[in-house]
Amino acid sequence: MAFIKPNKTKAYFKRFQVKYKRRRAGKTDYRARIRLTTQDKNKYNTPKYRLVVRFTNKDIVAQITYATLAGDIVLTSAYAHELPRYGLKGGLTNYAAAYCTGLLLARRHLKNFELDQEYVGNEQATGEDYNVEEGEGKRPFRALLDVGLVRTTTGNRVFGALKGALDGGLDVPHSEKRFAGYSKEDKSLNAETHRKYILGGHIADYMRVLQLLKEDEPEKYQSHFSGFIKAGVEADNLAEMYTSVHAAIRADPTQQKTEKKAPAEKRKWKIQKLTYEERQAALVKRLNAVNGDNDE
Amino acid sequence: MPAGHGLRSRTRDLFSRPFRHKGYIPLTTYLRTFKVGQYVDIKVNGAVHKGMPHKFYHGRTGIVWNVTKRAVGVVMNKQVGNRIIQKRLHVRIEHVQPSRCREEFLERRKSNDLKKAEAKAKGETVNLKRQPAGPRAGFVLDSSTLETVTPIPYDVVNDLKGGY
Repeated sequence: MAFIKPNKTKAYFKRFQVKYKRRRAGKTDYRARIRLTTQDKNKYNTPKYRLVVRFTNKDIVAQITYATLAGDIVLTSAYAHELPRYGLKGGLTNYAAAYCTGLLLARRHLKNFELDQEYVGNEQATGEDYNVEEGEGKRPFRALLDVGLVRTTTGNRVFGALKGALDGGLDVPHSEKRFAGYSKEDKSLNAETHRKYILGGHIADYMRVLQLLKEDEPEKYQSHFSGFIKAGVEADNLAEMYTSVHAAIRADPTQQKTEKKAPAEKRKWKIQKLTYEERQAALVKRLNAVNGDNDE
Repeated sequence: MPAGHGLRSRTRDLFSRPFRHKGYIPLTTYLRTFKVGQYVDIKVNGAVHKGMPHKFYHGRTGIVWNVTKRAVGVVMNKQVGNRIIQKRLHVRIEHVQPSRCREEFLERRKSNDLKKAEAKAKGETVNLKRQPAGPRAGFVLDSSTLETVTPIPYDVVNDLKGGY
């Protein structure tokens, strides 16, 4: 093979500055993080709470966090995989499920801080822009939405979660511009459309479309909505199902701790070094094997 | 054209970021809180252009007298001519670090207070003053043997190299 001059010489590596670990992993946007976590210095140790919403392929994570020098502390968290407990069997990462997760997080958080009686939020999911009003006693809990690395387009699921948290009673500064159903031409939010998305109306429509196509592609409906089919949910039942999930969440938002058994043997991550005796024994064994071969 | 004496003149190396530490600043700088009366060091961070102090103050230590939204007011002394003036600056947090100059003193004060309290309880007196390190202690050499070394008389015949 011909001599290929290496592109990345030793000098290149010597001068290479790595980005922060979480940036290399592509998980944290430091520009946004600096702006979300810095507190005014004349507010000293008052924490700045963030409503963190992240989507994975099969789950939604919603947390209320604040930053400290030692690391971020999570006050409350809610996951979409908890929603089956409240009656939601399928579609755990859609707009409606995001709304449910946000709602769950808000109700759970307010309950932990004993604000849930005072700040009931919006009990009917109307889709209109709702802002918590200051009550008699304590002020409403304020958090800032932390979207992560998501592109904030109109109708994004993070805003579904935001709407859930708002209706749950949290005070999150926001604009209605990015909710599903906002029209750029009219410059207004169509509450009806937004309500449709919150109650899974867009999903119901697609289900109906696939039902009609059953002659051409019989498998498609099955493959897309297997979760709903197993739970016996039809396109018409969806809105009801979501409203009952909302009610169930409001009834009991407490977090259930899963029972985790302590493993029988503690798993050791550090590769244990052999002791001197073990190394000597291994050497003797190897020498014997070599000498044995030589004899033969 | 002469060199000029602008605000940031002669700061090419002083304000430059250290090797392989360019770019975003770690969050600790933003999460620290400062209280009035605290000692702080001024160390300019060239990556942040706002709220930079003048190069004279780089490396100086002062006391916080004011805390604003994103900056701290620092008091420090500067010699001007034949006198020292107290100067009040406002510096952004990125250029300020909490000073450790008081750390040793405060720790010593704490331990001294404890020792004083202990001694008082027992009724003894204790000397809390710091003593400078004195000369090394004397010692006696006993298990050493004496070996007298004398030079060998110069032998012309044998010592001359290469023969004569």
